[in-house]
Amino acid sequence: MDAVTRIKQLGMPRRNNELWTFFPVAKIPAIEYGSGDAATNTATDAATCDEDFSAETDFAALLPIAQNARPMVQNIADGTEEMAMLKCNNDFGHTVLNIGKSARASLEILDNKVQHPICAERFDINVDEGADVEIFFANPANDLPLTFRHFRITQAANSTVRFSAIERGNGITRVSIDALLNAPGAQFEARTLNMLGGTSESHHRLHIYHNAPETTSVQLSRNLLDGSSRASYDGSVIVGNGCTKAFSSQLVNTILLSEDSSVSVKPVLKIYHDDVECTHGNTVGELDAEQMFYLVSRGISEKNARKMLMNAFAFDTFAPLPEGPAKKRLLQELR
Amino acid sequence: MLSIKDLKASIEDGTQILKGINLEVKPGEVHAIMGPNGSGKSTLSKVIMGHPAYHVDGGSVELDGKNLLEMDINDRANSGLFISTQYPTEIPGVNNVEFLKMALNSKRAYLGLPEINDGDFKKLCEEKMQLLEMDARYRERGVNDGMSGGEKKRNEILQMAILDPKVSFLDETDSGLDIDALRIVANGINHIMSPEKAVILVTHYQRLLDYIKPTYVHVLRHGKIILSGGPELALKLEEQGYDWIEEK
Repeated sequence: MDAVTRIKQLGMPRRNNELWTFFPVAKIPAIEYGSGDAATNTATDAATCDEDFSAETDFAALLPIAQNARPMVQNIADGTEEMAMLKCNNDFGHTVLNIGKSARASLEILDNKVQHPICAERFDINVDEGADVEIFFANPANDLPLTFRHFRITQAANSTVRFSAIERGNGITRVSIDALLNAPGAQFEARTLNMLGGTSESHHRLHIYHNAPETTSVQLSRNLLDGSSRASYDGSVIVGNGCTKAFSSQLVNTILLSEDSSVSVKPVLKIYHDDVECTHGNTVGELDAEQMFYLVSRGISEKNARKMLMNAFAFDTFAPLPEGPAKKRLLQELR
Repeated sequence: MLSIKDLKASIEDGTQILKGINLEVKPGEVHAIMGPNGSGKSTLSKVIMGHPAYHVDGGSVELDGKNLLEMDINDRANSGLFISTQYPTEIPGVNNVEFLKMALNSKRAYLGLPEINDGDFKKLCEEKMQLLEMDARYRERGVNDGMSGGEKKRNEILQMAILDPKVSFLDETDSGLDIDALRIVANGINHIMSPEKAVILVTHYQRLLDYIKPTYVHVLRHGKIILSGGPELALKLEEQGYDWIEEK
């Protein structure tokens, strides 16, 4: 089934669809499918468009394909090391990355600056055995009204993927990730930070499939919400039958800096095997009053003390990352 | 220097903890405050600094003629007041050295001085860390983050040394310190102390006062100072406890 047929079959997202429960679906403009970029029928396009989307349930995963986004394919050869910046210059983008065996890749996604009512990007990332990949974006504040970013990450044995992001835009964003840990030793890590104010919104939807024994996933999401901003985190971990020694953790920490900001968190664990370890946690609070007192009692102004505590909360999100371009860029963005 | 008159303070549920504290501290003096658990010793330092958990019911606190109770917390600190709490707060993610520099520059801004340059700050930091026999690990860590009780106390005295306050109120600085650490911290306090400054020590034991000789010793009980005396009072309290003291 092609993407257009499937997306028409699904219809526009509605709040009663659990993938869109927290999202302001009324803000999605009416879309005429096939109205996006003019497709270029290269061999790669044909290969991508031949994909069967009958099992895809996420509107955001289908939209770029249904809008004829021209796939940008990048292959990183076995055993090589590569740094790349990925940028989509159109409303709808589709990137396919094939990371070879034992390759090391650092991929930064830059903002699409197109000021249209909606933009949507899809990334298909196939990670071969033993490869180590970091995918990150640290986009500065932008005014894109509605942005979807969908990632489908497929991992082979002993591969590692670290996904990290800072969002601080003024519009509404939705990041959806399907991570498939298909062979033993595959590790996936997601670290995200939302620093939102005004009426901005950020919605994350993750499905992590532990499809093999001894696979690991770690999710840490942090929110600093001011004004009347909103964030949501809908994180599902699915551990298949026979996936012995799978490990998964999920933690969402939110600091509400205003009365009108809000966060919604929905952890889902579907575990079909006994010998696994899966945890989830969620904290919501304000800046720690004792820490504030400590800082101001040393002469630091309340404004600077708040800033220091917020920065500390933000820095901590990415501090455990290994030294490399992602950590450098993300921490630089916070300074 | 520091003048506390009839200070009364309560907690949120209305329970009054301080019931009329009077204390005069002059430059060059060391005051030791002793007293049973729950008598209000820790509350006193927090109330003077303006901790939001306490409500001042009456009285005044003046530092060099300025009413501290009318000032913002950071201004109280920048005016020359320093408190060290019994359980120093951990602040993971806020680097110890960056915090110290921010605190020092806040004070300098308050006093109308320019920011300290990196070289001078590094030199100052190294000098004070050497005084307190602190190793370089303290620089990399978050404020009190993951430190043992003794390390935290030493880190507090480092802050005191760098901020150079007029009056330091040190709440059970000796708790959690082993014998060597006690000596180092006490030496540090003595080194920082000068005829223009004053220190108020809250302690349960004579052992700290073996290193830091108090000018006066006070007994705080049920929210009031019920007895004051010289250094010999601490020795008597160590021997006989508090039950012999009759409250007026």
